[in-house]
Amino acid sequence: MLRKIVVGLLGVLLLGTAAMAANEPVTIDFWHAMSSGHQPNLQALITAFQAEYPHITVTLTYQGSYSALQGKINAAVAAGNLPTMAQVYENWVTPIESILYPIGPHMTMMEVGDIVDGLVPSNTYNGVLTTVPFNKSIMVLYYNADLIATPPATWAEFYDLAKTLTVDTNGDGTIDRFGTGLRPAANPEQFLVFLDQAGGSILNADWTEVTINDAAGMAAIQFLGSLIPYTFVTSDYMSDHMAQVAMFIDTSAGYNYNKTAATNAGYALGVAMLPVGPASQSSMIQGTNLAVFDVPNQTQAQKDAAVLLARFLLRAENTVFWAMKSGYQPVTRSAYETQAWKDFVAANPYQQAMSAQMLLGFSQILHPNYGDMRTILSTKFDEIMRGATGALDGLNSMAEEIEPLLSE
Amino acid sequence: MRSRRSEVSYTARQRSYRLLLYVLMLVGCVIMLLPFFWMLTTSLKTEAGAMRMPPQWIPAKLHWENYAVAWGMAPFGRYFFNSFFVSITSTIGEVITTILAAYAFAKMRFFGKNVLFAILLGTLMIPGEMLLVPNYVTLTRLGWLDHYEALIIPWMVSVFGIFLLRQFFRSIPDELWDAARIDGCPRGRYLWRVVVPLSKPAVLTVALFKFLGSWNAYQWVLMMTNTESMRTVPVGLATFSSDIGTAYHLLMAASVMAILPILILFFFTQKQFIQGIARTGIK
Repeated sequence: MLRKIVVGLLGVLLLGTAAMAANEPVTIDFWHAMSSGHQPNLQALITAFQAEYPHITVTLTYQGSYSALQGKINAAVAAGNLPTMAQVYENWVTPIESILYPIGPHMTMMEVGDIVDGLVPSNTYNGVLTTVPFNKSIMVLYYNADLIATPPATWAEFYDLAKTLTVDTNGDGTIDRFGTGLRPAANPEQFLVFLDQAGGSILNADWTEVTINDAAGMAAIQFLGSLIPYTFVTSDYMSDHMAQVAMFIDTSAGYNYNKTAATNAGYALGVAMLPVGPASQSSMIQGTNLAVFDVPNQTQAQKDAAVLLARFLLRAENTVFWAMKSGYQPVTRSAYETQAWKDFVAANPYQQAMSAQMLLGFSQILHPNYGDMRTILSTKFDEIMRGATGALDGLNSMAEEIEPLLSE
Repeated sequence: MRSRRSEVSYTARQRSYRLLLYVLMLVGCVIMLLPFFWMLTTSLKTEAGAMRMPPQWIPAKLHWENYAVAWGMAPFGRYFFNSFFVSITSTIGEVITTILAAYAFAKMRFFGKNVLFAILLGTLMIPGEMLLVPNYVTLTRLGWLDHYEALIIPWMVSVFGIFLLRQFFRSIPDELWDAARIDGCPRGRYLWRVVVPLSKPAVLTVALFKFLGSWNAYQWVLMMTNTESMRTVPVGLATFSSDIGTAYHLLMAASVMAILPILILFFFTQKQFIQGIARTGIK
């Protein structure tokens, strides 16, 4: 009897200690690139998280632009003082995937299954959901609603409309308004959208072969090449040239800037899903994910706390809050079914196209050299769209330059 | 009669040249001031007004509240304190180390002087960006990350400043040192009492360039600090931009506040600044 009492007491003591250990105060560092406009909303989410988990303190640290954040993460890898978690683009962490602490195994099946399909592959390393999506946007079609009553539904309609709307209004030989606009040097993902819609990809499934210049790639680049006379090419934000373009593909996150710029240019801005390509109506998802770092300067308690925060941010009500406040898109399927989001979409009809497009989204590949591949894409795509090189020659040149990156 | 006529035509020609010079200077002045004017007027526009094309030079309504909004979007009070503290201390530090090193290279004899100086100059060829990660690792190991030490101490030495002052010190005649030595003046006293006062424009130029560089430093501060309480004004300015756009009206309001101290400094020191630039040939 006494033995049972002692064992029982020891059990209670052990559980108590474990519970106390689980609630030991812990501080985690979260590096991000959300500037002043988004910071209060991120802080509001963190405050709500800390209210729910009072033993966890989250130190939010703004690290400047995305490139500054990337530079800091690289330096911190070398110095061994990474934060507990950070906002990351896929190509930043693919070279350091071995020091990522997988979040997926600490989530429920329901939570994992709830993530929007297009976001899963770009967060999955060796079959394990390692990072989780956070601030995500999708490329959609913006158009001058005063000029375009019905946005183009197919590539052919897009071409016809771009051609019709390209005009030299004062007859001085210079085009005053282009049918469309592209930012090839700044946003080579615009090419990847057409490539994916044609059924193509940069590499084959197991990354052993460059497939960018196969039949689908050729179809995509030939279509874009045919648009050259009707395309305004720039590296600037398209919102700086609104009066010069009738429609353009841009990130959903830029809606507010584009809307203001369209109003300044004297027209109403419309938002639509992208025209359908030969294979699909897909669009590329952009934006960052959340990574937890598995490094010696982070304790298990800190990593556990960071996982809790990642899961908290994935909750339907939180990803909806973030989306409504920031202009990014919710990252879980259940979020799109919440009444709050439905009400928001009803009040902001432009969101309908963005939400629908998000569910047809695809993400960037996780190849460790994607960053270098992207540089090649932007250089060559820019050369093609500026007419410095022929469309097919440029595409083949892209493939040739990407080839050596497969084995490096 | 002929000579008077030619004198008159010479004077008229001189006047025309001068007029042309003034016109050119005026055009140059307008070109230089235009960005400042745009900054000032944009700081008083609405967000939509700031993005209007063609640009709206003078806004219909002046939005002074942009300044209060911009000030409230980041802890600018703390940023200004840090900017002043870091700029002043690193400037003082650099001036002291630069004077000492430049004097040694200019006037003293020691083994390997020229080789050492060549190596120092060689370091100017290494891009700063390349050294960012090694420096970050070094400062992390020293435990200086997110401390004032990281923002000040690495910047208390400037090879360019040493080079500049060395060239200036070399132009001071050695006879002055001979005379001072005969009078029993030690080298340190000679340096601070004779050489430095004689080199005031060059020293001030080094100090001003340092202050400007330190005041405008962005990447280094962002990299070496993690807490808002350690950051400076340029980092605060970055918060108005994101990957999808920039709040130009607020950014310009904050920029006006950020350049005020530099403008005030320039008003007080412009004579020395221009003298220093003219003498050292820096453009």
